[in-house]
Amino acid sequence: MKLASCSKTYGRRTVLRCPALDFAPGRICALAGPNGSGKSTYARLAAGVLTPDGGGRVADETGVIRYMPQKSFPFRMSVEDNIRLFGGDEQRAEELMKALGLGGLRRQRARSLSGGETARMSLARVLMQPCDLLILDEPTAAMDMESAIAAEKLVDDYRKECGCAVLLVTHDLSQARRMADEALFFYQGELWESGAAETVLYRPEKEETRRFLEFYGGR
Amino acid sequence: MQTALQKAIELILSGDRELANILLVTARTCVSSSLISLLIGVPIGIWLGTGRFRGRQALVVIFRTLMGMPPVVCGLLMYMLFSGVGPFRRFKLLFTVTIMIIAQVVLITPLVIANLETYVSSVADTVRETARGLGFGRWKTLLLLSNECIYPIFSTYLLAFARSIAEVGAVSMVGGAIAWKTNVMTTAIMLYTNRGDFTLGIALGIILIAISLLVNIAVTVMQRRLSR
Repeated sequence: MKLASCSKTYGRRTVLRCPALDFAPGRICALAGPNGSGKSTYARLAAGVLTPDGGGRVADETGVIRYMPQKSFPFRMSVEDNIRLFGGDEQRAEELMKALGLGGLRRQRARSLSGGETARMSLARVLMQPCDLLILDEPTAAMDMESAIAAEKLVDDYRKECGCAVLLVTHDLSQARRMADEALFFYQGELWESGAAETVLYRPEKEETRRFLEFYGGR
Repeated sequence: MQTALQKAIELILSGDRELANILLVTARTCVSSSLISLLIGVPIGIWLGTGRFRGRQALVVIFRTLMGMPPVVCGLLMYMLFSGVGPFRRFKLLFTVTIMIIAQVVLITPLVIANLETYVSSVADTVRETARGLGFGRWKTLLLLSNECIYPIFSTYLLAFARSIAEVGAVSMVGGAIAWKTNVMTTAIMLYTNRGDFTLGIALGIILIAISLLVNIAVTVMQRRLSR
């Protein structure tokens, strides 16, 4: 899946400048970087939620993109209805709820869920349909370790089943190292480093990337 | 106070025909104006809350300002428009219940719009982002957003009804508080108080609050059931 080069400016401040990127099918690409480096802005531009400077779209119109934002909205209905929005496949919903430990909460109102439960529900919701590019913005940030591991396995299975590319925005370096085949490192609104995950996440070339890695868990 | 309460109970139990007429005119005016305001205001409120167009903020400021429009000013405007020298004189609506409803719609609709716009704009971006991420188009996103608005719509209706039932300036100006025709609870209270009949005024006031309480209970029960 090809994403065109893009930039995003608010007022006089350019918050992101990124060259064209290609996400290979069946591969997971981690997008790491400190706060304010433009990770979420890039995810939103790629998902078509934000319009880049100059208008148009960053992603190719023909590809199907699914995106789970950092603050995914729990709609005013039950957990099951949230997952099966507009009549989604019952069996698929069942599998996802079981895998994410949501079976016992299916009739509960989504608004009454905790942060971690809402994140699990949102992940199940975005994994209902197959796609070409799955964008997940900090999907496990609110989850406990057990749920996060279950979520990682589910995303991995999904990617294998539908052969989609996955763009995983994460602060969790150990998660990025566990899951990613490739990695991107954003710094001050620019793509600072990119390549194979074992290079970018273990032996980066740039000093800023090294400092980030040391701060978020060392080598 | 005890006398007034007794008088209020007596009035209701006696089946006083004038009181029945006042109650009927009040109900017709309030229910119609609050529902019409809701029908007009809800789509505009959602549109303003979700819209990203030039002039949106100016419209929001205008509606918020109109929320505070004094009822007598609204009544005066309506009077000038529909009086014998006004541009709408051919409709012959002055001193009818219809013009009272129109005046209240003008008064209440900005309240509905501003109230709903505030709620919708607070959730619209997150709803839109989530819906877009799931691949939903404009109509499905709008459906999801409208579903989020059910609870605020009920609260807004209660606000509209409260404003309508307590309003006296506009209805007395355009309706004229004509007995058996355009006299509503609030204008009747004013009329009786001016005549020095405080007990009857207070009795009507108690009935007015009781009606407001009943409507609030009914709408709250509906709101709870629909919000489940």
